[in-house]
Amino acid sequence: MKNTDKLTKDLAPRKFGKAGVIWTWSLIVISVLGIIAYIDQVIKGQMVTNMNDYALWGIYISNFVFFVATSFVGTVTVAVLRLTNNSWRTPIVRIAEIISLASIIMAGITIMIDMGRPDRLLNLFIHARLQSPITWDVIIIPTYIVISLLLLYFPLLPDLALLKKHYKKTKPKLSKWYGKLSLNWTGSDAQKKIQLKSIHIIAILTIPAGFMLQTIDAWLFSTLFRVGWDSTNMGAYFISGASVAGVGALVAVVYVIQKAYKLEDYITDYHFDKLGKFLVLTCLIYLYFNINEYLLPQLTSKKEEITHANVLFTGEYAPLFWFVTVGGLVIPIIVLLFKKGRKPLPMFLIGLLVVLGSWWKRYLIVTPTLLHPFLPIQGVPESWRHYFPSLHEWLITAATLAMALLIITILVRYLPVIPIQRTAEERELLKKEENNKS
Amino acid sequence: MNLIRKNNENHIINRDIASKSLLKIRYFFLMVLSVFLLSISLNNLWAQEVQKHRVRIRTDYVKIMDGEVYFDIKANSRINKRNVNISNIELIVTNEFDDEEIELGRVKTNMKGESRLILKSLSVIRPDSTKTYNVVVQFKGNDTLKSVSKSINFKDAIIEANLITKDSINYISATLKDANSNSVIVGELLDVQIQRLFRPLKIGEEFNNTDDNGSILVPVEDGIPGVDGMLTFEIVLNESDDYGTVKDLISAPVGIPIVDESTFDDREMWSPRSKTPLYLLIIPNLLTFGMWVIIVYLIMNLFKIVKS
Repeated sequence: MKNTDKLTKDLAPRKFGKAGVIWTWSLIVISVLGIIAYIDQVIKGQMVTNMNDYALWGIYISNFVFFVATSFVGTVTVAVLRLTNNSWRTPIVRIAEIISLASIIMAGITIMIDMGRPDRLLNLFIHARLQSPITWDVIIIPTYIVISLLLLYFPLLPDLALLKKHYKKTKPKLSKWYGKLSLNWTGSDAQKKIQLKSIHIIAILTIPAGFMLQTIDAWLFSTLFRVGWDSTNMGAYFISGASVAGVGALVAVVYVIQKAYKLEDYITDYHFDKLGKFLVLTCLIYLYFNINEYLLPQLTSKKEEITHANVLFTGEYAPLFWFVTVGGLVIPIIVLLFKKGRKPLPMFLIGLLVVLGSWWKRYLIVTPTLLHPFLPIQGVPESWRHYFPSLHEWLITAATLAMALLIITILVRYLPVIPIQRTAEERELLKKEENNKS
Repeated sequence: MNLIRKNNENHIINRDIASKSLLKIRYFFLMVLSVFLLSISLNNLWAQEVQKHRVRIRTDYVKIMDGEVYFDIKANSRINKRNVNISNIELIVTNEFDDEEIELGRVKTNMKGESRLILKSLSVIRPDSTKTYNVVVQFKGNDTLKSVSKSINFKDAIIEANLITKDSINYISATLKDANSNSVIVGELLDVQIQRLFRPLKIGEEFNNTDDNGSILVPVEDGIPGVDGMLTFEIVLNESDDYGTVKDLISAPVGIPIVDESTFDDREMWSPRSKTPLYLLIIPNLLTFGMWVIIVYLIMNLFKIVKS
């Protein structure tokens, strides 16, 4: 019990310091600016964006795909590591669950932003066709939001009960809230049995749901007869890319939380080393699919494919393409293959680089293809052949990213980021094993 | 004093200049007003003298054997050196018979300036003593178009067509006759064609002139596709000066059946939602239903935790 009390004291949510407050307010300000820009977009219509007849999907869809990809972290780290009994996952799973939930919520909101008017959401239900991946997307996103919420909530129950007890004297109001959210958790065998069974079911359910989510997202593109999208590789390509984006985001957030909450005793170099290995594995798989995606069209040399590839390799989007490929994949692989590269700080920097690369990667998947349609329209304005987001688009997109970080920040502020009960149980088990050995 | 006088003089001069300029403004204002009023009145005058355009009417008489008779009428006009279709004008079609005018019907032109008057049969029209039918198409004119009338005269001809088979080859045999005298018409051009969606498909030689018996014989090629193998042949006397256009139609199952490859009625990926493929109705619904059953079960587990 003493062990649990100490852990609760160490891991209970704490008030933010000065940096945390500045961080939170910065996110709120960016979010408010984005909301103002969005209201203006609703009033004036999407003419405030730089989208046009060619670039009909702009930065919003790129951002949506990024959020969907990042939400995959819940599937890859939590469910897969849980089902494969990787015990090193314990201090990082909750952070992964939080990132997953924040990302998928923002993915849903971003797609509404892209529709122009929010009431058009209703059309997705009224005019739904089950042949369309858009309808599948409409079904899977709310489903994945609920699954992510349950994935976060079930393992939280014992910790919420501990927090209720912990704050009973010092913060009775907060304690009351934790008590309500803990659903009268007493840790009885019956409760534990139901909870463990439920967690196991969610872990299994998350895997097909996550794979469906990523695949549907990929099919939104690959079912369209467009150069760069019309590929059977797309589903697997998106899943591997989502793993990279998710784990990259996880690494970056884990580092920030470790430093902000001084959790070096709980999130150690060992965890970063493991995460680094995991990230390099996902990067290698993604690199393999990238080679498939970009090299094979070079061999078959179809005219349109070559034109598209030239735009990426040597044309207008070459700097971005090489930054994404080298910075977002090759450099992380090289750095993470070395033990020194898997230390916390290099890992954090690599994590940021991977996230940045992942975001721009989605931009590269969406935009260049749209600017080079398979059937070019004659006599179009030159401006249609180029796209760069408008101020409104940047403000709104920045706001969605800020909101995702705000959700993560709020959850980190009020929830224990490392599972207290599970850590206590693991430590007790370890102690017993050591005692048995001696 | 001189200075005062000078000032006064200057003042008077300035006043004169001012009053003169005011006068000029008044004149200018009156001039503008009068030009404006004049232009309005002249406009009204001109409107009454607007030159009316002449309407040109073209009328084609068409007779379908054992079927209807119709007049295809097209109205256009030369306006500003361009041929313009005259739409939405009323045309009166009359039958002239012994100084008598019998109205056959009234039609209005469509946006292309076209209209069609359909008669049940030729018996509605009365021929003159030479068995010539005289039909007049009249336009009574309006504010912009002059009145005009156009008459056409034609005799009645008949085509007797048959599909015959000789040595396993199908032929279209047709004889052209004057309906009044029942005598064959020699040396007239008959077209043999198969009805198609956009334009008929001509078969046989380029020119099929009727022989001394007033007949033609045109072989039908094998392998012409038709819906269920059914071909509709048109034997046409086309825009003859004396007889107008006369058509006889023969339908016969001598073609190759068209295999309908359209997937319009099938349940396909690109069909409307009412034609969703069954597997797409079953699998996504099963998956969605399956996942939500588990989710509901998990939510129920939360309630169980509360109670236990």
